[in-house]
Amino acid sequence: MKATIERATLLKSLGHVQSVVERRNTIPILSNVLIDASGDGTIKLMATDLDLQIVENVQAQVEVPGATTVSAHTLFDIARKLPEGSQVRLEAADGKMLVQAGRARFNLQTLPRDDFPIIAEGPLPTSFELPAAALVQIIDKTRFAISTEETRYYLNGIFLHVAEDPAPVLKAAATDGHRLARVTVARPDGAEGMPDIIIPRKCIAELRKLLDEVDGSVRIDLSPTKVRFDLGNAVLTSKLIDGTFPDYSRVIPTGNDKLLKIDPRSFEEGVDRVATIATEKTRAVKVAVEKDKITLSVTSPENGTAAEEVPGDYAATPIEIGFNARYLLDILGQIEGDSVEVHLADAAAPTLIREDEKAPALYVLMPMRV
Amino acid sequence: MPYEESQGSSDRVVPLSFKRLSWHKRPMTDASAKPRKIIHVDMDAFYASVEQRDDPALRGKPIAVGGGGPRGVVAAASYEARKFGVRSAMPGGQARRLCPDLLFVRARFDAYRAVSQQIRAIFERFTDAIQPLSLDEAYLDVTDNKLGIASATYIAQEIRRLIREETGLTASAGVSCNKLIAKLASDQNKPDGLCIVKPEEAEAFMAAMPVARIHGVGPVTARRMHSLGIHSGADLKAWPMQALQRHFGKSASFYYAAARGMDDRPVREREVRKSISVEDTFETDIGAEEQLVTELTKIADRLWTRVTASRATGRTVTLKIKLGDFRILTRSRTLSGPPVNAEDLLTIGAALLRAELPLPIGARLLGLGMSNLVDPDGEEDEEEEAQLRLAFG
Repeated sequence: MKATIERATLLKSLGHVQSVVERRNTIPILSNVLIDASGDGTIKLMATDLDLQIVENVQAQVEVPGATTVSAHTLFDIARKLPEGSQVRLEAADGKMLVQAGRARFNLQTLPRDDFPIIAEGPLPTSFELPAAALVQIIDKTRFAISTEETRYYLNGIFLHVAEDPAPVLKAAATDGHRLARVTVARPDGAEGMPDIIIPRKCIAELRKLLDEVDGSVRIDLSPTKVRFDLGNAVLTSKLIDGTFPDYSRVIPTGNDKLLKIDPRSFEEGVDRVATIATEKTRAVKVAVEKDKITLSVTSPENGTAAEEVPGDYAATPIEIGFNARYLLDILGQIEGDSVEVHLADAAAPTLIREDEKAPALYVLMPMRV
Repeated sequence: MPYEESQGSSDRVVPLSFKRLSWHKRPMTDASAKPRKIIHVDMDAFYASVEQRDDPALRGKPIAVGGGGPRGVVAAASYEARKFGVRSAMPGGQARRLCPDLLFVRARFDAYRAVSQQIRAIFERFTDAIQPLSLDEAYLDVTDNKLGIASATYIAQEIRRLIREETGLTASAGVSCNKLIAKLASDQNKPDGLCIVKPEEAEAFMAAMPVARIHGVGPVTARRMHSLGIHSGADLKAWPMQALQRHFGKSASFYYAAARGMDDRPVREREVRKSISVEDTFETDIGAEEQLVTELTKIADRLWTRVTASRATGRTVTLKIKLGDFRILTRSRTLSGPPVNAEDLLTIGAALLRAELPLPIGARLLGLGMSNLVDPDGEEDEEEEAQLRLAFG
């Protein structure tokens, strides 16, 4: 293999690819990126952790087609440090790859390309397209609620399923058992009859990074065990979480009769301010809701107390309820409009938060005892 | 090698050693501290003696508790068996070769536990400062005892007499001013013996002591010490702190103090448990994933039973694999919260296991442990309680 590629192009692509590669690997080749230069003037960069695989195509001048694998993190670090605007020459031969730019030369150990594992996709019968912007919305409004609890591995991702609501919709949900986030969008053509899937957190994180550079649509192909996102230059393939997502609809309250309408920015800023004195141990912010105002307060045994009043529309019986400040901020940070509805029942019941009835996103938050 | 000289210079060169040094000197230089009275009580060939007590046919015969199966190890050997060189932790086959007439007896832990409780009740008549090391040995601090007896020797004799009367078994005891020496002393006149080492005799007692017998000097350290020409406590004492640190790192301060008969570790009534684990040795080595997972399932169940019984629960799950060639692999994972049931435990354990598959050779042992224990009554738990959970049912 002999090829020349612009440093900026290589760096950007390696930036995507190397984050799929785990820092510590028991199987040496999983630390490597597959570099495959083909005669048509493109280089394919590929990395995998056996659950998630990324393939990215970049422009290059290819003199001799060929392929090899080298340490992804090392090559990325080299690319980062090479002079801006330089041309990087890659030359693989005899178990080594020469990387040359300016006056710098690196001779890197390689591993044979044939040993590089590729995720067997199998047939992916469900295919549809989603605008990149819609996918960004789905991810941003749900990913914060994904559980990190490894024992409840079936919550370690975003659950995607279709439903008749009664209009055909595609729903995305995530929960960690304390809060739930759900986004509903119109069902794209081709998604009908798709199996329920849980997309792992790592795939979501990588996908989200790639989406920043996509304007048009993303093609999604899936089966009950695999999903593939085709973003044009990059293709992400992931195994799906093999588990059953709980029937989350039963925790979405329908009879919460105490409605608070409030400006999400003042609410968010108020919570953020009083939470300043909250410590790791006391994350609870108390929300006292009474006629047309709320009082936010935090009591910390170490630091002292804090309180702030925020005006709002409220006419029901006064109520005091506690929330984890972080959780509240996560949700309020996703509210874009100038009003948010907080549907309360009592201090120990799930609280429903949404912009309004028509908003695609809906959040359920369990209180803290205060 | 005169010690004072090197101490002076080492303190200047390595400030760290001064800190360690002074820590261990404290109990000796602090004139106000009166010497403690520590007894170490150790039952003689405990499991084997219980078996011989309960079955007259076994009396006077070489017996081994445990070790009968193809992969078993001897848990205890009677004194008759020890004459042949049979020792605890020895594979059954080897024991049989050493002593062809050896009788293998199945262990009855319930019986041993019952005796252990009887013994503890005897200790409690004298003091509550009891630190059990296992079912058959314990440290007692009798400096201030319930009966106001000044003589620790007298208490040790009384305890041995009461144990003999009430359980029909014999115990050996060591009496001294700290745990290190009391334990070494109890071994001195075994079986059915008593050994007293007065504070002023401590240094001389240690000087003659082979280093390998010091509790805290394992076989590996002992070999290293031997290669450095350190065989007795006296040899050890000739080494300055700094030199010990160079060879033994963090443990140096313990060895340094031990050589001088010093040990200020208190008798802990309740040793804080750091981990809970369960392991199983297989009759034949296994390598197939399915079989390994089946075994791991059983182990996870047993571990969970112990975890729930102890009320403690841990956030770190550790898998131990001992391969056919005795190489040991351990892999662990720390979770954000403790597992909630045996299946959770198995999920983590199996994930750790699968990451190691295929094993280079079959495994002879699998183990699963939980550490990083969370006190169920601790603050952290209350905090978790305060956050209510969604009811997925």
